[in-house]
Amino acid sequence: MALRLRTGNQMIAQGAIQAGCRFFAGYPITPATGIFKTMIDELPGEGGVALSAPDEISAVAYCIGASMRGVKAMTATSGPGWALMTESVQYAVMTETPLVIALVQRLGPSTGGATQGAQGDVLLAEFAVSGGYTLPILSPSTAQECFDLTILAFTWSELLRTPVVLLSDKEVGMTAERVDDDLLRNVTSQDRLQWRNRSGGLEFMKPKTYGTYSFDCVQEIPAFTPVGGEMKVTATGSAHNKQGKLQKNSPETLEVLKHLEEKIRWRENDLVKVDADIQNGAKILVMSYGITSRAAKDAVAESRKRGIRVSFLGIQSLFPVPSRTITESLQGVGRVVVAEENLPGLYRSVIERHCNGARVLGVNKIGSLITPNDILNAVQS
Amino acid sequence: MQTTTIPPEMDLVYRRPDTLTQTPMHYCPGCGHGVTHKILMEVVDELGIQEQTVGVAPVGCSVFAYNYMNVDMQEAAHGRASAVATGIKRILPDRFVFSYQGDGDLAAIGTGETIHTVNRGENILVVFINNAIYGMTGGQMAPTTLLGMVTSTTPFGRESQVMGFPLKITDLVAQLPGAYYVTRQAVHSPTAVRKAKKAFRHALEYQKLNKGTCFIEIVSNCPAGWKMTPVEANEWMEKNMFPAYPLGDLKVPK
Repeated sequence: MALRLRTGNQMIAQGAIQAGCRFFAGYPITPATGIFKTMIDELPGEGGVALSAPDEISAVAYCIGASMRGVKAMTATSGPGWALMTESVQYAVMTETPLVIALVQRLGPSTGGATQGAQGDVLLAEFAVSGGYTLPILSPSTAQECFDLTILAFTWSELLRTPVVLLSDKEVGMTAERVDDDLLRNVTSQDRLQWRNRSGGLEFMKPKTYGTYSFDCVQEIPAFTPVGGEMKVTATGSAHNKQGKLQKNSPETLEVLKHLEEKIRWRENDLVKVDADIQNGAKILVMSYGITSRAAKDAVAESRKRGIRVSFLGIQSLFPVPSRTITESLQGVGRVVVAEENLPGLYRSVIERHCNGARVLGVNKIGSLITPNDILNAVQS
Repeated sequence: MQTTTIPPEMDLVYRRPDTLTQTPMHYCPGCGHGVTHKILMEVVDELGIQEQTVGVAPVGCSVFAYNYMNVDMQEAAHGRASAVATGIKRILPDRFVFSYQGDGDLAAIGTGETIHTVNRGENILVVFINNAIYGMTGGQMAPTTLLGMVTSTTPFGRESQVMGFPLKITDLVAQLPGAYYVTRQAVHSPTAVRKAKKAFRHALEYQKLNKGTCFIEIVSNCPAGWKMTPVEANEWMEKNMFPAYPLGDLKVPK
């Protein structure tokens, strides 16, 4: 045991550095500033670059530029900054540029409540991309998970060549809690597959033999070619063919667009990360994510003490939706309780269709944390 | 808060104008925002334009300006105050419209809005509080942070090779033909306050002429962000901020 007191924000920064992130750009915004501050303090010592940007639009664009060279890059923000970043996030989806964005949620809309936690950005993050392309989202609920999921976020972004959102919130990000250094697995993230020149010679200006996004089947992840490398690279946010050249409606361009979604969808069963505690014969399943899953866990423990058979499913990989895992957890379940800190039940609206006709109840609240009692009442009702 | 009734036999030397609310300010001790709010609102009161004045507050420490300024006030999204003020002024051209912004809001995230507002010569007053730091989020480097200055994101001081140079945005906008009156003032001493107040009076009077944007920079302090006492902060400001941001008029009407 080597206990330290650390905030979720600090653990995201530490996880990023361990994952090999060597570029960070940020703009001050509560409650995400702690990540920015830690990266400014720590990253230069690791041989990385940490930059202050004049706004979130620049911050995310700096990261895309660095990632286009092959460097793992991250930025961190909250709701208002995410709103500004979405243009470039779409650009990263379109250009298949790996990137991790820590989105530490606060109460919205607009400037909202800078120091008030909430879980209101889950669909705002997922549906930021025109056309509904899946943006992988991981959501930690403890400082320890902040570390683990940051490393996983880098692995996903590198292997899938896509931006990945790390969806934290004010309570997880700014609360200091015990972290056991011994439990911080000595792992790092995987790296993107880089194109290698088999002949060993320069192959500039030979677009027929190589395209920036060359793939044979739509699910394939094209090998990455860094800018400033030996290969001529073209990339564009416009609809493009496999060489990264603007083309509007050609069959090849439509295939590239299909590929952007298929490369993630095809692997969705490999992209499942849940905290499952399934009880045999349970008639009730409690689902939650982020900070609220901690209250949900307590509520489940208390329910069992009172003799109620209940299962728990904390969802860490919110998108792509772990639909198969959800369906499997529903064995014999007649009622599902979904707890989250927003009023309409944002994530509940997404997973409802996977609940096979079970009755789905929401526990929703804003302005203060959802308590184990709030969830317990729904379990007992 | 209770108001005191002044006995009729005593001479009334000063009273809080109606343009300032009775809400106690949340600003840190020694901060320049309070004085700037006060003199701006005193001018609005003296000109008798309280009913015709509309202000737009930023995101930053003065996000709460509407709590203290007793005129129509709205907070805009971060950096967009002068753009929102543009919309208000275009629809209500006979009103006195001002934006009130800090250095992060006006000279970082809102640089584009600032330059284009002045370039269009919008007939508004832009009040720019420059304390060289992001106060509300805990003292990060701002575009106006001085070289060598330690902030939470420049732990070894701002280096020009990495972080560029202090942005003199007031000098920049003074070059634009749309700017009618551009001045740089301070509020750290009684003399400075009197001068700054005069500048606010000019700017609001000029707004009646429809000649272009009036832009007033207040070089201010941030004792909490600079990690100094209010007195130390004012001394540090005189010694370091004023040489970088010299007080005085940058553009006056001919």
